[in-house]
Amino acid sequence: MEALVPLHVRQARRRKGFILLATGFFILVQIVWIGLPILMAVLWSFVSAKHSWSYPDLFPKVLGLDPWRYVFKYTNIKRALVTSYSIAPFAVALSFLLSLPTSYVLGRKNFPGKKFFNIVVLLPIIMPGMVVALSLSRVFQAVRLSQTFVGLVVAHTLMGLPYMIRVLSTSFQTIPQDVIDAAENLGASTFVKIRDIYLPMVLPGLLAGMIFAFTTSIEEFNLTFVIGTPTFETIPTILYSFMGYNFIRTNASVVALVMMVPNIVLLFLVERFLKADYLSASLGKM
Amino acid sequence: MRRAVLIVLVCLTAAGLAFGTGQKGDTGSTLDFQKAKWDQIVAQAKKEGQVVFYAWYFADFFTEAAAAFEQKYGIKATVVMGDNNANTNKAVAEKDLPVGTIDCMIMGGQNVKTGMDLGLFYGPIKGIIPDADKLAPSLWVVQEGVQVKGYLAPFHRNQTGLVYDPDRVKEPLPQTFAELTAWIEAHPKEFGFCDPSKGGSGQSFVHTVIKELCGGLDKYSGDTEVVQSKVANWNLAWEWVQKHKDQLTITASNNDTYGRVNGGELTLAVAWDDGIKDLINKGNMFPRAKMYIPKMGFAGGGDTMGVLKNSSRKAAALLWIAHITSKEMQERKFTMVNAYPARTDITIPNVMLTEKDRANAIAWFPAPYKAFMIAEFTKNVLMK
Repeated sequence: MEALVPLHVRQARRRKGFILLATGFFILVQIVWIGLPILMAVLWSFVSAKHSWSYPDLFPKVLGLDPWRYVFKYTNIKRALVTSYSIAPFAVALSFLLSLPTSYVLGRKNFPGKKFFNIVVLLPIIMPGMVVALSLSRVFQAVRLSQTFVGLVVAHTLMGLPYMIRVLSTSFQTIPQDVIDAAENLGASTFVKIRDIYLPMVLPGLLAGMIFAFTTSIEEFNLTFVIGTPTFETIPTILYSFMGYNFIRTNASVVALVMMVPNIVLLFLVERFLKADYLSASLGKM
Repeated sequence: MRRAVLIVLVCLTAAGLAFGTGQKGDTGSTLDFQKAKWDQIVAQAKKEGQVVFYAWYFADFFTEAAAAFEQKYGIKATVVMGDNNANTNKAVAEKDLPVGTIDCMIMGGQNVKTGMDLGLFYGPIKGIIPDADKLAPSLWVVQEGVQVKGYLAPFHRNQTGLVYDPDRVKEPLPQTFAELTAWIEAHPKEFGFCDPSKGGSGQSFVHTVIKELCGGLDKYSGDTEVVQSKVANWNLAWEWVQKHKDQLTITASNNDTYGRVNGGELTLAVAWDDGIKDLINKGNMFPRAKMYIPKMGFAGGGDTMGVLKNSSRKAAALLWIAHITSKEMQERKFTMVNAYPARTDITIPNVMLTEKDRANAIAWFPAPYKAFMIAEFTKNVLMK
């Protein structure tokens, strides 16, 4: 019977089967890799203080709001939330502005030592976070940026810059030169080229860089703790107090969820605006 | 172009060197705390008006203690909950500044040597704090093998021992090293201790193994550095661990041990009594968990609090320490978090380890040997 089915139909069926299998496998991996840990965090955050979740129980026997009450009563989590989400947008904006010229040069120009500079821009994320924090705190103390909001924004920008530069330089690299040449031939000024060609085409890369820089800022602990506390507390400084030497899983789960949920919502919002239209169009793909 | 770049680099380097010198700041009171009366210190503390305290556990107790402190003295107490290592790193980062941001902090056993070696603390304060003689006397002198010379005030005592699930570990419990070895061999992978470089409970276990297999602890007493002839036979301890490596579970931290006990993977493990009790109180450990100190002995100690040398509010910090170590606060600490007080004039029920249990507690050998032990364990056990 199989032999009666045309070859192209059999091939199409196999392709469809393969796609279904791959999709199913991907969904399963996502459930195990991401879904299960989130489910565990949610369950742990509702474990009652009076009824532990222990062996041999597969699920907590009694749920309660004790961990949530504890975290909101005995930590400055509300203030930390406001601080975290105040610093991050400024850090992202500053990362973008500072990275733009560097990523343009790294993406579109060739010069001696280019490979070396590509590595140098990654230094803030290669070096251990506490080493960066201890060194930077000395400088910030001297220029009176320690314990200040501006100081924290600058510190967070430092950690977001590597991601922004690398992503944007890749985006700049992919812009076809003939589009630039065509614009110049038609008399476009530098400002018009930046506004109508460069920026729209690097937009997907910019958004990706923004996501990296934003999440880096939200998750930054070492710099915030050394330079910012006691004046400023962020979500990670509270989270680490429950995850470090004194690990309280229930409380840590609460703080992790408080940190995670707004980030997930933001990611979905940004995803709606991620468009590859301009770049695809310029390459004749649309 | 090259000259311009060179000039910019030279200027940046010079600026960096200049910035490294730090900035001036108000260094605080000129009162000589070693000679002042306590009333003078309290008055000065009220003038200072604020104290910043760094801790990493008992957020609930310290938050309430801060509220009580503010109500009693009118001094704002800011409690920052960080992490043991992060707090110490921050204090170290600020140590050369004329004025730091930390006035007072908890010093745990893991970092007390660092703190004392770097001279982070003002002191001695033993002669200043009221009722100092009622706080764990040994901790004023030595904390986990480190001479603290009265610079750090005991506020909390803790002890390592063996935590077990009484539903799965039946009497008689192993008391001697031979009995424990037999138990481990009979229950492969059910006994656990943490990597000594990551937690004090693991250090305590290895410390006991060395005591049992390498000729006791008395020979190290008073040494200020490692005497090679005294550690020449420590290979016996590493060989024992290697021989039983497939039957032992070496965990990543104190907390990893506790998590595995709670999860049922381990039924007998080395733990800190205060850690276990705190987890039980917060629903992170089954309430039936019990602890004991076997006759072979396990080490313990406690945590202390110190005033940072570059604090500009030393009087307020001293008053804060006096507040935390007061009878009222020590009893409240026990009520809230079931943690053993540092005060010896308080009778308390319902602890993981009673005073009778603590009769089997042993003292740590000197700190240089502890550091050497951790390095040798890593080299001879973990890396093999």
